[in-house]
Amino acid sequence: MNEMYIHSASTFIAEAHTDTNYLKEEIRRYTKENFRRVNKFILLTILGARQCINTHALDADTAIYLTTEHGNLGETADVLDEIYEVNSLPKPFGFINTMSSTAAFYLAQNLGVRGRNITVSSQHLSFERGLELLKVDFAGGVERSALIGGVDEASLSEASLEGCAGRSWRMIDGSGWLYVTPEREGAGGAFTEIRSFRDGPSCVRWMSEREISAADVVAFGARIGDEEAASLRDILQPAAEFDYLREYGYSGSATACGISMFVKLYQGKTLLHINRDQRGNYAVIELQQF
Amino acid sequence: MKRRAFVTGKAIICALGDTLREIVDAARHKRIRLSQIPFTLASLPYTKPYYLIQRKEGDAPDNRSDAYFYDILFSTVSRALLDAGVNNEEIEDMHVFFGSTSMDVPIFEGNHHKTSASVSGMFLQSSNGYGKIAGAIVERFGIGGNCYSFATACTSSANALLYAAAMIEERHIERALVVGYDLYNNLGFYGCEALKSLAAEEYRPFDRMRDGLILGEACGAVVLEGRRRNADDFMYLGGANICDTYSVTSHDEEGSAVAETMNRALRKAGLRPEDIDAVKAHATGTENNDRTECAAMKVTFGCSVPPVTCVKPFIGHTVGACGVNELILFTESIKEGFVPSTPGFREADKDLHVTPLMENMEAGKGIFMLNYFGFGGNCTTLILSNKDAPG
Repeated sequence: MNEMYIHSASTFIAEAHTDTNYLKEEIRRYTKENFRRVNKFILLTILGARQCINTHALDADTAIYLTTEHGNLGETADVLDEIYEVNSLPKPFGFINTMSSTAAFYLAQNLGVRGRNITVSSQHLSFERGLELLKVDFAGGVERSALIGGVDEASLSEASLEGCAGRSWRMIDGSGWLYVTPEREGAGGAFTEIRSFRDGPSCVRWMSEREISAADVVAFGARIGDEEAASLRDILQPAAEFDYLREYGYSGSATACGISMFVKLYQGKTLLHINRDQRGNYAVIELQQF
Repeated sequence: MKRRAFVTGKAIICALGDTLREIVDAARHKRIRLSQIPFTLASLPYTKPYYLIQRKEGDAPDNRSDAYFYDILFSTVSRALLDAGVNNEEIEDMHVFFGSTSMDVPIFEGNHHKTSASVSGMFLQSSNGYGKIAGAIVERFGIGGNCYSFATACTSSANALLYAAAMIEERHIERALVVGYDLYNNLGFYGCEALKSLAAEEYRPFDRMRDGLILGEACGAVVLEGRRRNADDFMYLGGANICDTYSVTSHDEEGSAVAETMNRALRKAGLRPEDIDAVKAHATGTENNDRTECAAMKVTFGCSVPPVTCVKPFIGHTVGACGVNELILFTESIKEGFVPSTPGFREADKDLHVTPLMENMEAGKGIFMLNYFGFGGNCTTLILSNKDAPG
């Protein structure tokens, strides 16, 4: 696996329907820029990423990978209401901000970086797929530093939790970010595996056959049910489990938030994060802290 | 060891038709089909042009449903797979890269007619995320690989193709299905009118009298693989994506970020500017885009700007889907021996210093640059060739 070293991480989570003025106040702790004509999704993006960068000096070519399940959910609904309920043309900036890539743009502009700027999604595995894109860019020597994060507003959608039968969490707004480079110097940890499997048995076989020592901590994504989690625990025999969904709540970007939170909370530990999508494709992320 | 990625299969449904032959034929003869759409919901007393898919009567936007949405999508994908000649095992092995601006918004707007629920209410309650459409593709076709849905405004499907090719080159995957799809939706049409971006009558990118863009709807799909199936399959040579942080709605008019994107793509492909035989410009027809893009071409190519074509006047600006749609229209025309001209262009803008092709240009083997830009400062350049692969 190509080197992907983690230099900092940060998580911002808030109860659903957090006021945008509160988010703006929080952002002022990190930047003097006054954000106008922006929405909650953009503010969550900027806040989470600014917390992650904090005092790091970024290279101008730093890339941004924004992963999300739903993107600008709230503002898209508002603009649809302007057209269908108010029967008017939408406000120009409201319309522009329905394009979720504007969040990564405002972040790049605020940070003064102009590397790759990608907004990507994949049902229930958005953060994992974003990491795969980053991995290919590092492998190809296209990028030398990157901010990767997951951002989602609390969703009211029942469909978004379809398949998570028997498990329910409180809905939160979430923005989890990591600053990653291929350089080990100054890093606090590294991604040591980013792996996809077409079904559960292949994933289990890989975990069973691994020759390296077991991870200290395991964490399961939203679609790994209780029974399946129990059988995976039997195989992995972890020293601990990080149930970030139960402890902190769910957003479409729960994986990004959980992983960035792990970096902060579990110094010196190894994490194996297992997740799956609605088709039964699995994705495993292993992260080692130094 | 790295390898090349090749476009081995393709299909498109757009305003010009749904077969490659009729679409390329229309491009050769500068035939376009433009519709007029009113702003009924906002009670505005005028219409604006739009490039609508017109396969049958039921295609009118008011009659559409989710079945229509998926019919267009699945029909396009099905024909792209057939064109590539992939077998079931190879289909199962694929990964899906999807790019769109509107994603599933047309579905919610279409279903609005059948229920008393508001569109926004349906959207909030039923949205299954940006990954939903790629998820439907893999389910329908028995594709076993991963799904990546790109939401980078008008560069969405160009970026989908950039990453699909990179993953094949790096041997992370064997083959990919790349889809660009944007169907008519009021959100985009009314939104662009609110921005005063829509042209009044005619699409005239790079023309002195240009007055904006004309939206279009289309679905394009290409199969990318690590080997050529046919001698004329186009080969991906390189690409680049960067963010122009000048403004969320427009690019730096001096074109520095756009030029930097072109230069990075050239470096990635191991090429010099003079190696490019023709450029497919993004050419939205808006004042800022055309000014920026032409300035950038002057920065990149100096006094020797290669022949330039603007293909949006054939199928409209298909926003996030334009990456794949315009690639298909452009490369299929070259396979038929010509680089298409730019319909609607009549009078050069002396400030742009670029005059697009006014007549079809004979084309054979060559190296071609395709440019795409979008809101949020997103800039993407792809370089493709139909020359023999090295080694």
